[in-house]
Amino acid sequence: MAKFVTIGERIHCISPVIRKAMEEMNPEPILKRAKEQLDAGATYLDVNIGPAENNGEELMKWAVTTIQDAFDNVPLALDTANKKAIEAGISVYNRSKGKPIVNSADAGGRIENIDLAAANDAIVIALCSAEGIAADNDERMMHCQNMLERGMMQGMDPSDLWFDPLFLVVKGMQDKQMEVLEAIKMFSDMELNSTGGLSNNSNGMPKHIRPIMDSALVAMAMMNGLTSAIVNPCDLRLMETIKSCDIFKNNTLYADSYLEI
Amino acid sequence: MPFNGKSGKFNAAIRTVEIGTGDKAVKLGGECVAPLYSFDAPIENAPKVGVLITDHGFENESEGIKAYYEGCSNWGEIAQRAAAMEGADFLVLKFDKADPNGENAPVEDCLAIINEVAAATDMPLVIAGCKNAEKDAEIFNKAAEALQGKNVLIFSAKEENYKGVAASAVLAYGQKVGAESSVDINLAKQLNVVISQVGVDMGNIVMNVGTATAGYGFEYVVSTLDRVKAAALGQDDAQLQMPIMTNVGDETWAVKESTASEADIPAWGPVDARGVNMEVATAMAVLASGSNAVILKHPTSVATVSKLIKELM
Repeated sequence: MAKFVTIGERIHCISPVIRKAMEEMNPEPILKRAKEQLDAGATYLDVNIGPAENNGEELMKWAVTTIQDAFDNVPLALDTANKKAIEAGISVYNRSKGKPIVNSADAGGRIENIDLAAANDAIVIALCSAEGIAADNDERMMHCQNMLERGMMQGMDPSDLWFDPLFLVVKGMQDKQMEVLEAIKMFSDMELNSTGGLSNNSNGMPKHIRPIMDSALVAMAMMNGLTSAIVNPCDLRLMETIKSCDIFKNNTLYADSYLEI
Repeated sequence: MPFNGKSGKFNAAIRTVEIGTGDKAVKLGGECVAPLYSFDAPIENAPKVGVLITDHGFENESEGIKAYYEGCSNWGEIAQRAAAMEGADFLVLKFDKADPNGENAPVEDCLAIINEVAAATDMPLVIAGCKNAEKDAEIFNKAAEALQGKNVLIFSAKEENYKGVAASAVLAYGQKVGAESSVDINLAKQLNVVISQVGVDMGNIVMNVGTATAGYGFEYVVSTLDRVKAAALGQDDAQLQMPIMTNVGDETWAVKESTASEADIPAWGPVDARGVNMEVATAMAVLASGSNAVILKHPTSVATVSKLIKELM
């Protein structure tokens, strides 16, 4: 099995620093966040430019080249509701370290992002929901099948669709947590890749609790076959848990210094 | 439906490490396929064969080895004779006599041999020690200094002495360094990690994961080599993408099958041929499991293994 893929989530326009940097096209704050995440062990970096309705294409191109030039063509997830911006980003994207990820498609209004990924030989995050959160795993798996078929009809390799069960917040949806984990198991039984915004689970919890909850959940999810997650790689406890689970899963060979690499 | 052959080529590759200089320099590693699977993708650097010379000379070696070196009166001549073996790619000098628990030959004696050999041949050199970590560190330090510019392989740093050995060999004198573990996959990886943490670029490391003679717990050797290559290629583990060199001859010529005389066990036939068989069988098995180079003693083994490699490429 391949090593768990971490997608660093910290280049996100919801952060005031990043938003400002994107408005001004000022590379420094963005490169600083990229470096922190890569030093902490992220494989992919997510680049969220927000809806970017006006200058999305220009902004995504700038972000992709700025980050890839600075960090040896680090692979990126292109994250925006603006499809043209994603396409523009892919047009300048260097694939030597991995295909671009389209973040994201769903089974509803954003299903066409699967077509976009297929047309551009990209990976796509396929969110198993349509209008609102899936009611149960029957619905999740129906969405999964629909998106899988749509991708394959257009020649995509099934491994390029990374299914997102949609991690749910514990405070309010505690009774749904095992269902999400079961969905991951079903993806895994179908030999499909999976990912998701894992830290959703701990939204609203005290700051010192979140790494503990996130680490416990990632371990349970990896046990069930989760192959990737969109995370804050600067969370040391979480990254140590992922590296340790990779050892138990025989995804990486153990060495005494495994936490340092 | 037509058969669609799928290549077993990996997206990862073993690093290429060059030893020696000039026309005779050899490149180890570089492949992106399972061992010897040249049908999946070209293997640019075929596995290499080295010839082992120890400071004991040939008194106690088998008849065939002794006969091959007959008439050599100094280390330079010995080195030239070894280099002339059909299929030889590099020479390995090993200093068994320096072991403090044995003859404890001084480092100066080792250096005298090294200098004589280096002056007599332009074959790439591999410098092996006496298995005592402390004494090895001394020998390696002096050897690396004396052989500056020759791009030799210091074979090898161990858990007990890696800091000094790797820093001196690579950082101070620009040589290559071996990372030695004894059939222990986790330690093999760990050594690569800590040697690189000393500041040594991973492109200067050759792994020495150890071996046994075929039949002597050899399945552990095979599983170790298998697991290292599976991680290096299948899991793209950068800490294991070093080429591997295996000292086969030293092991196989010590087992009963290679030493018991025909007089003692008539049913086993001539001892020299038996020893060659053990050496060739073990060498081919480690090559088939992922070793990028083998170190051998007997001229017939060197010729046979190099021919086999050539036929398989």
